[in-house]
Amino acid sequence: MSSLNTFGAIMTFAIELETKLRDYYQTAGDSARAADADKRRSNLERVRRENVTEIKLEPIEGLDQADYSLDLSATSAEAQSAAEAIAAVFYQDVAPKINVREAQRALERCGRQHAELAANK
Amino acid sequence: MVKRLKNYINGAFVEASTDRYIPVHNPATCELLGECPDSTRDDIDRAVKAAHAAFDEWRSTPVLSRAQYMYRLKNILEERFEDISRVVVEENGKTRDEARGEVRRAIESVDYAASVPALLRGYKVEDISSGIDETAERQPLGVFAAITPFNFPFMVPLWFLPTAITCGNTYLIKPSPQTPLSMDLFYEIMDEIDLPEGVVNLVHGGVEASQAVMEHPDIVGVSFVGSTPVAKIVYETCAKHGKRVQAQGGAKNYIAVMPDADMAASVANIMGSAFGCAGQRCLAGSVVVAVGDAYEPLKAELLKRASALHVGYGLEETTQMGTVISATAKQRIEGMITAGESEGAQVALDGRSQTVAGFEAGSFVGPTILDGVTPEMSVARDEIFGPVLSIMHAEDFDGAVDMINQSRYGNAASLFTSNGKHAREFKYRIRAGNIGINVGVAAATASFPFGGQKESFFGDLHGQGPDSIEFFTDKKILIERWL
Repeated sequence: MSSLNTFGAIMTFAIELETKLRDYYQTAGDSARAADADKRRSNLERVRRENVTEIKLEPIEGLDQADYSLDLSATSAEAQSAAEAIAAVFYQDVAPKINVREAQRALERCGRQHAELAANK
Repeated sequence: MVKRLKNYINGAFVEASTDRYIPVHNPATCELLGECPDSTRDDIDRAVKAAHAAFDEWRSTPVLSRAQYMYRLKNILEERFEDISRVVVEENGKTRDEARGEVRRAIESVDYAASVPALLRGYKVEDISSGIDETAERQPLGVFAAITPFNFPFMVPLWFLPTAITCGNTYLIKPSPQTPLSMDLFYEIMDEIDLPEGVVNLVHGGVEASQAVMEHPDIVGVSFVGSTPVAKIVYETCAKHGKRVQAQGGAKNYIAVMPDADMAASVANIMGSAFGCAGQRCLAGSVVVAVGDAYEPLKAELLKRASALHVGYGLEETTQMGTVISATAKQRIEGMITAGESEGAQVALDGRSQTVAGFEAGSFVGPTILDGVTPEMSVARDEIFGPVLSIMHAEDFDGAVDMINQSRYGNAASLFTSNGKHAREFKYRIRAGNIGINVGVAAATASFPFGGQKESFFGDLHGQGPDSIEFFTDKKILIERWL
């Protein structure tokens, strides 16, 4: 069974992912990145609230959260980059599966931001 | 300690004048969530007296001030969004996303109510005779009430209350005793926004409370959503007692699928229509009519997708279909599947033996697909209100239209096609109040009336949208001449 098989499962996973990254960067002493992650978390909570459209709730297939687990045990630049790369892939994979454009756009934006962070070692 | 619910009357939570309490169970876990008072005629009378007493001052409160309460309400609903959704899952059994969708739509009704100042305008014509002008002004009427169902325990009351009170009326809600908890939470929120005492009231209960609402001389109008037999009773009783009434009944919604439809995309959407909220929506697709060559690919795709649906406890995010409302409902639905089978339908996917690990006593009915269904079978004619989809076959488009129009219900119908002519013909010819074209849940948004025809609706003004402004106001005519 796919573990990211509903709109809510995907959005909740994304919110948890950003929460973990916020805490991670706080621990690493990077308050700017922590604030950015917290802003994404807050935006995603709003998106989950505002874009759950009953008319278009459909099952989602082919996504498993095990494919997007972050290793946050180290805080080196390389470790940060690796975590950001996984986050970027997550958003790139899930955005096309969401059939509400506003939510899709928010996920795509998160993906772009994580891709930029992954590239900036 | 299990919560024993109170009524909310005249700005305070008060004990009901009864010693009869109805247990409220979580239909997945069977946990006792609360006890709902089976309120009496006296409780209704007390609430109506409070609402009646509050009316004059409330109607003279400027409409812009009345609308401000809606903004405050919206803000709190957004803040408490996840809490409310959780309560809806616990009392009703639907999935988390379905509950979120319900709360979202409820908030959209509050948004609509905030626009009432722009919708209350009357109209005027000068010189209807020499020197005489004629004006129509909208005025609120007094105390309105709603008797609301278990399937959308939070959304349906909010179809009515926000618009009614922003129009200047006062209000009473009598929610379903099966799902009273989200309304209990809603009235906690209403208490926070600090409306004048008596403007909004809540009385829990069953038949006695409902009967008292229908018969009370100081209630001017009643909104009802529920089954057709009860909707008829509500319509007739309220009319007999001189009330405005809008009574929304049951449904048997058909979905026609043409051979030219995008089959994968169509079936993905039909899944939500047939099995969303475990089929307990008045807009649920209950019969799919495969037209011509659509039959084989449609059936194959339906079976593939429906058998993959993850049935479970609604609070788990991965659950795609939750429970039905109660063990009694489960028994009734399974009985109807069996009746369909005995009438000749083939059970292509059988949800009767559905169990969920960890929730063995839960009221789960798995997605069920009946094939070879014909119009005379009970499963084609009667409302099942569960996750059961019947497949019928029509030779051509005209045959599908005839099949759909035979239904005594007229709540909703959908067509999946890529042909514009068929889409136009469908919406033109089908006798149902909500039509979906490549949309399986044709749910009107808050600024549109929620349609319904034939035995699915009794009344003339529907809930939501401009109809609600008409329902909650009267037009007073002023003819003036200055000598």
